[in-house]
Amino acid sequence: MIEIKNVVKSFDGFHALDGTNITVPDGSIYGLVGPNGAGKSTVIRHITGIYRETSGEVLVDGEPIYENPAKKALVASIPDDWFYFSSATIRDMMKFYRGFYPAFDMDRYEKFKEVFTIPEKSAIRRLSKGMQKQAAFWLAMCCRPKYLILDEPVDGLDPVMRRQVWSLMMADVEEYGTTVLVSSHNLRELEDVCDHVGIMSKGKVLLERSLSDLQENIVKMQVVWNSEDTPALPEGLQVLHTSHVGRVYTYIIRGRAEDIKGRMALLSPLMMEALPLSLEEIFIYELGGEQYAVKEIIL
Amino acid sequence: MLTLNYRDSRPIYEQIKDGLRKLIVTGALRPDEKLPSVRAMATDLAINPNTIHRAYGELESEGYIYSVPGKGSFAAPVQAPLEIRRMELFQKIRELIVELRYLGVSDEEMIALVKEGEAK
Repeated sequence: MIEIKNVVKSFDGFHALDGTNITVPDGSIYGLVGPNGAGKSTVIRHITGIYRETSGEVLVDGEPIYENPAKKALVASIPDDWFYFSSATIRDMMKFYRGFYPAFDMDRYEKFKEVFTIPEKSAIRRLSKGMQKQAAFWLAMCCRPKYLILDEPVDGLDPVMRRQVWSLMMADVEEYGTTVLVSSHNLRELEDVCDHVGIMSKGKVLLERSLSDLQENIVKMQVVWNSEDTPALPEGLQVLHTSHVGRVYTYIIRGRAEDIKGRMALLSPLMMEALPLSLEEIFIYELGGEQYAVKEIIL
Repeated sequence: MLTLNYRDSRPIYEQIKDGLRKLIVTGALRPDEKLPSVRAMATDLAINPNTIHRAYGELESEGYIYSVPGKGSFAAPVQAPLEIRRMELFQKIRELIVELRYLGVSDEEMIALVKEGEAK
């Protein structure tokens, strides 16, 4: 389990993290999302033991991670800006990683030669961005981590390789109960792979839920009312957003679809449909309340 | 064996459920035939194994599949149609009927359609 308890991190008085609380259960795939500058990468650098928290606690596997080699050996990460030694080949980097990760799997390293398209003899730094990312996956997956921390993991990978690496990671999650924490802006992709989601904004976690819980507790209602004017909605419905095109009204409402349908039915609409929201829509509506929305600017 | 439609608004676990259910009721998966393992399906579709566990769990409680510990999940022998599913399908037909009436299809034509389905 990864636990981040009330962590504050300040850089010269600026609070990059401002009382962040995150819990990543074992064996889950946790998606960390949020607008630019929300603090996602800062959280990741705490979990990998790079940053020391100003206050609060960062626990990995039950112990503070900072300066804790035994627990760090369980964590592999692919940062957003990876590093390879100049003129190091994948083989050289493998030897480097092998020195730090006791569980390093050589069989796996050999097998991955078939998966990844990296020439073993060339210096990684001279390869393309996508190739360098592939190398990062190759090395990280061979460390047999209990916790895999990924910052914008599949950026720069081609569609085949994307699917390939997700598929490899999913196999590890099922087989060995690997815990994955992934930060990404590709919500469409996160929706397929994550079971838990945390939405961050301005150094805080706005909400943290299982994905199914999240999707079942917010619903998009499309309604056509019987009368010309719109009736007032039942009391106590938490409406996040209302819009209409012609006579079709769209409401984003917090709550379970059946309950809301039941209550709306009392107003006898002409037509009513409850639609599930995609993660992208949830993200937009949840943050919309935080004064963060697409602004209509005329240029 | 299954394909996911990423433009579908249904959550993925429901797509898996519907897909497997279809395979079972059409006989593409015979009674007592083994379903793909969670691992195989997760790597094949590149989706979260927990999602598949959930879909399998719900199909099991609905009676479409059964699982044998250590062996995997299997298609259940076909029983009397389940009440919940019947209601769901009836609702769909009702919606279709409303639309067909709007298009001017007479009741006789619709009944003929039902009979036609029976004859097959």
